[in-house]
Amino acid sequence: MTDLDQGLDFSMVIASTVHDMKNSLANLMHAHGQWVTQLPEDQRGVPEQGVINYQFAHLNSMLVQLLGLYKLGVNQLPLRPDYHELDDFLEAQLALHEEVLNSRGIVARYEVDDFGLPGFFDRELIGSVVSNVVVNAIRYARKEILLSAGEVDGQLVITINDDGPGFPAQLVENQTDYVLGINQHSGSTGLGLYFAARIARQHQRQGARGRIEIANGGELGGGKFSIYLP
Amino acid sequence: MLAWNKKSFLIVDDFTDFRSSVRSMLRELGVQEVDIADTGEQALRLCSQKRYDFILHDFNLGDGKKNGQQVLEDLMTDKLMSHESVFVMVTAENSQAMVMSALEWEPDAYLTKPFNRASLAQRLEKIIQRKNLLKPILQALDRGKPAEVLAACIQLTKQDPRFAPLCLRYKADALRDLNQHEPLETFLKGILADRPQPWTYSALGKLLFKRGRHSEAQVIYEQAVKAFPMMPVLYDGLADVLVAAGDGKRAQQVLEDAVRLSPFAVRRQRLLGKLAMNNEDFESASKAYRHAVSQGQFSRFKDPESNLGLAQALINKCGDRGLDARTRVEINQTLTDVTKEHTDDAGVQVRARLIKATSVQSSDPEMAAKLTEQAMARFESMDHFLSADAALAVALQLKQLGQEDAGAGILKICAEVYGDDPVVMKNIAKQTDDPEILGTGKVAMDLNLQGIRSYRGGNLAEAQDLFRRALALQPKNISIALNMAQSLLHLGVQHLGAAGLQECQACLKLVGKMPETDSRFERYQKLRSRAFGV
Repeated sequence: MTDLDQGLDFSMVIASTVHDMKNSLANLMHAHGQWVTQLPEDQRGVPEQGVINYQFAHLNSMLVQLLGLYKLGVNQLPLRPDYHELDDFLEAQLALHEEVLNSRGIVARYEVDDFGLPGFFDRELIGSVVSNVVVNAIRYARKEILLSAGEVDGQLVITINDDGPGFPAQLVENQTDYVLGINQHSGSTGLGLYFAARIARQHQRQGARGRIEIANGGELGGGKFSIYLP
Repeated sequence: MLAWNKKSFLIVDDFTDFRSSVRSMLRELGVQEVDIADTGEQALRLCSQKRYDFILHDFNLGDGKKNGQQVLEDLMTDKLMSHESVFVMVTAENSQAMVMSALEWEPDAYLTKPFNRASLAQRLEKIIQRKNLLKPILQALDRGKPAEVLAACIQLTKQDPRFAPLCLRYKADALRDLNQHEPLETFLKGILADRPQPWTYSALGKLLFKRGRHSEAQVIYEQAVKAFPMMPVLYDGLADVLVAAGDGKRAQQVLEDAVRLSPFAVRRQRLLGKLAMNNEDFESASKAYRHAVSQGQFSRFKDPESNLGLAQALINKCGDRGLDARTRVEINQTLTDVTKEHTDDAGVQVRARLIKATSVQSSDPEMAAKLTEQAMARFESMDHFLSADAALAVALQLKQLGQEDAGAGILKICAEVYGDDPVVMKNIAKQTDDPEILGTGKVAMDLNLQGIRSYRGGNLAEAQDLFRRALALQPKNISIALNMAQSLLHLGVQHLGAAGLQECQACLKLVGKMPETDSRFERYQKLRSRAFGV
């Protein structure tokens, strides 16, 4: 082995590869979107389109998450909190996934309690967390997803409900040990929760830190994911 | 719903494919007026001819081209875009790297490719909603009236306290522009105690620094860098404070951290070059100046100092070893570029020739002598003063090129023009022990300080007399002449007699010889427009 080989930082190699993969995927998604518009109407809504759209979204959110985890690891995740209107934020999250939702026949809506102030958070980071959870919910939901925002004890809570089978019991029981979940049958869910928890913790106000919570039941009877931001 | 058919759009992207897909999304929304551009330069040209309601700009338009952030800076600085218009930065990847570099001018939104029609429409409608709400503030900004901005912020917050967070930054900027220092400080500290944001730290740091409270500013910036370690602009502020405190070594380290976070900042690289140069770290200095030159090519922050600095750093780096062929080529190139581009700038012409002369001093003494002679002749005919830094560099070069007397002459002028600045005097003392240069200004400076005290105490006649006596001793000193002019104009130009006006105008003519880069230039312009009429 040469010195150069020893100096190779593998996590950096992965990160830069993921970066390229993400660009590649973006081009692929773009080209596919163009192609679909040229198809005759009756061929656009076929079930395969639903699979393709969902897998695009899933791949994309995994890559975003992987890059985020890398930056967290090397302590280079920029935080830029600002005030955001919650209806705008949630509406934008749903608009992002419009095609997937339509092609899978899932009705998604959002609700915002009118509690005065807009939310204070990093739009990009919380956006990537919500997007991950929504993609996961799309996978398990039968026909409904609900995004809501409200206030609990002076903190902002963003919740994603679905009407699917819910989170595995052991994941809900061992809430604080998300990484354990990685080995479970649910694949990347544990890692996703770990990422979400880390992002939540980055948000703090006068000593209080953000957190996440998962539960089953909720308004739609399926999985319920909540992120609390001080 | 928005009346899309009445809105004009500009799409800036180098991908034809992308442009056409966005154009078709917009068509589906009902948009009729869409222009396209494939470079930032073209976008700027179009914006100077027509006002767009929406600009969708790709961040990265290829290496060696203006990027979206630079175009936004140009649009705002040159007032080619109304605050009511919408600028959306389109990015191929996560926008975080871009977000970090944009603190002064932020786009209204970031959109990550690929996006669908629903996302595009949703974002644009929301932004328009918000801009409608903020309309009184945005229109006041377009008129350049900070007092009206402030009033609009207060009005909007009164109307509905929920809008207060949207007004924070507009309010802070307005207070800053109105020089309402104390209210601004209280306001910013209030925000920081609750929900700190990078811009708040930056604004407070700048305010404290401007008011000479350097150690407090340093504490704020240290906190800021800890809270937001990924924001290069906070490192810039910290470096400024450290420079003022005389800690050039740490300032250099801090800027090196900032450059690692975001290498694409011409001004930062140039300042880093200067600091490294002062710290005699010529390797780092040449590297930073080299970046500043190459990135500056398409930036509004392009500056001849980068080229001159690069050439000088390369010479110093090689020291007594002499220059190798490659370095020689680089020096020639950078100096040729800068002299070609600034043919009318006598200061640049003089300095470039002297640097070139220094570089060939041992290899081609004849050429060095010829260039030195040219430089001196050009210097003689110069109407303006060199900046203090430039004068010091020129004096040193002349001395090294065997022109001791000419060098000393420049130091003498420098001491007279900038003698009220202790840092300049300290640097002059590094080059000479001549008491005639170092000591002459003493009496005049004392008179000047007394004059300032009298002026502040409201004793105008006494102040004028003191400034007049100081100026008689040091007739080229910019500060004294400025003070003289200001004290004459204090009661308004209409109260000056013919003789007073003449005296005032003579002072300002002298002050007008300072380089435009001088921090007092703005003050001079204000006084000049009062004394000479606009």
